[in-house]
Amino acid sequence: MKKVMETDVAVMGSGVAGMGAAYKLAKAGGLKVAVFEKYPAQGGAVSNCPMCFCSTPDTPEAQKSAYEVLCRFSNYSANMGLISKVVKYSSEFPDIFLKQLKIEAPMVVNRPPEDYGNQRGYTMGHANGLDVGDIYFLQGRGQGHGMALALFRMRLMLEKQGVKFYFSTPIKKIIRENGKVTGAIAYEKDGTEVIIKCKALIVASGGISGNLEMMKELGVVKTKYEEAYQDGGQVLITFPDSCQDGDGQKAVWEIGGKKTGIVISADPQVPNPGVRIGKNTPWLVANQTKIVTEQPYLRVNEFGKRFINEEMSSNHTAMSTAIIENNTNMACYMIFDEDTARALSEKVEDGYVYFIFKGVKVENLRGQMDEAIAKGNRHMCHFDTIHEVCEYMGISEKNLKETIAKYNHASEIGYDEAFQTNPKYIKPVREESGHIYCYRILAGGYDTLGGLAIDENANIIDENNCPIEGLYAGGDMATASLYGNPPSNAGGTVYGAMPTGMLAGDSAAAYVKGADRV
Amino acid sequence: MKIKIADYCIRCGICEDLYPELFRRNYSEHCMDLLLDEIPAELEERAKQAAADCAVAAIQVVK
Repeated sequence: MKKVMETDVAVMGSGVAGMGAAYKLAKAGGLKVAVFEKYPAQGGAVSNCPMCFCSTPDTPEAQKSAYEVLCRFSNYSANMGLISKVVKYSSEFPDIFLKQLKIEAPMVVNRPPEDYGNQRGYTMGHANGLDVGDIYFLQGRGQGHGMALALFRMRLMLEKQGVKFYFSTPIKKIIRENGKVTGAIAYEKDGTEVIIKCKALIVASGGISGNLEMMKELGVVKTKYEEAYQDGGQVLITFPDSCQDGDGQKAVWEIGGKKTGIVISADPQVPNPGVRIGKNTPWLVANQTKIVTEQPYLRVNEFGKRFINEEMSSNHTAMSTAIIENNTNMACYMIFDEDTARALSEKVEDGYVYFIFKGVKVENLRGQMDEAIAKGNRHMCHFDTIHEVCEYMGISEKNLKETIAKYNHASEIGYDEAFQTNPKYIKPVREESGHIYCYRILAGGYDTLGGLAIDENANIIDENNCPIEGLYAGGDMATASLYGNPPSNAGGTVYGAMPTGMLAGDSAAAYVKGADRV
Repeated sequence: MKIKIADYCIRCGICEDLYPELFRRNYSEHCMDLLLDEIPAELEERAKQAAADCAVAAIQVVK
């Protein structure tokens, strides 16, 4: 079965980038807009992730500061013209989410522009945005995240404005004739081929985190603990069955689009079971594992060697990148003793930890661990001796003992020559304390970032950096042009994704209407 | 009492994790399955709470 459909602009994906594109296309007026989504409903990865967004205020000081932080962050490998537009679009977020979609933000953290890029806990490691603006914490419905509700309401708003949504209808191929994109081919659930004739196509189908084979093939996942990276798995925080299978990347590459590196958007995680309340809901925690693993205490790799200043434990980008680039099996091990466990039962490190607010305590840590272990979790343990920990976790005992001796010495002298960790965070590890605890932390994340490259108009470019006429992209898949190639960031969601989608929408609208580029 | 799931359900799976006796993820159909046609009296409060906990109000109680 075949059918033919005509529209002015087709959008591939209805996550935060696709919605941002459709929002701008609807605002442009006079265009037929059709959104094609592989999943049966709207939202994409963002529906299961952000409880907040970051927005750069539209003041010269804030825009300049954010722009400079992002340029530096990309090591000037991003498209610098794109960065300024993304920063500007982000200033529209409060109007869109709070006023138009009526999502409540019970807490807003206003940050002075001169502090952008410096605040631990809201740094580049901030999971839902960058430290380049104000942070709006959103109130969701029930047990869900605010963004799930926001994108549902946005779908309803856009449908009223005439945007057509086609769910369970993935675009698989792009039609390019005489250098120009003229259409795409999608498939309905029953296999019917839908030939889409369009003047412009916006690709916003997200990452590839639903496709373990593709992640392995591209070297995104390289670990013996690969079960944790399966769709519906335990380390990637996008929801199970997310359908983020790399369709967009593959379709664009097939017609000559430039390939960029693809990485896991960073948020180090201890895998399930018994860490989260269930297999579907990473944000509904079963215990305080995440709080403990955000603390800046000793971390080693499988060789038993330190690999980072442990203060980076709440900077997710830094920690995950270091784990992936320096360690075997995309893993690291957090190790502490009974004295530290006792200290955590009194208080966690104030003003340090990510998303963990003042006054939090970690009580009955051993009991919490035992409960998760009883549920089958093999990524945490506690024993009387370092020998037993090493044997259980597969860490080099000889090296770890040497590392601990040096680490404890750094604590004694108040100076960490090897990694410059602040001495107040160096907690000696001693068997004499009575017990040793260990977590295996894998580099995890919200989705994957990268795959496609775009210019300052969100136009997809080819291997020669020339724009492909009529073809645009936004979202996590295009963030190599924003954060550098390969993209390195935990904040692909919302801050990078939605503005690139909005820009793609504005650019495609201008192109279809025959206007000059934005 | 009956419950139904609207087509705009985002399949996040909160309902399965919190109320496994009522919902199950169906991977082949990309949907959430209702496990009971009729909600027994002892589970009615759980079903109402599931509707309240849904991220997008897709779980609806049908009298």
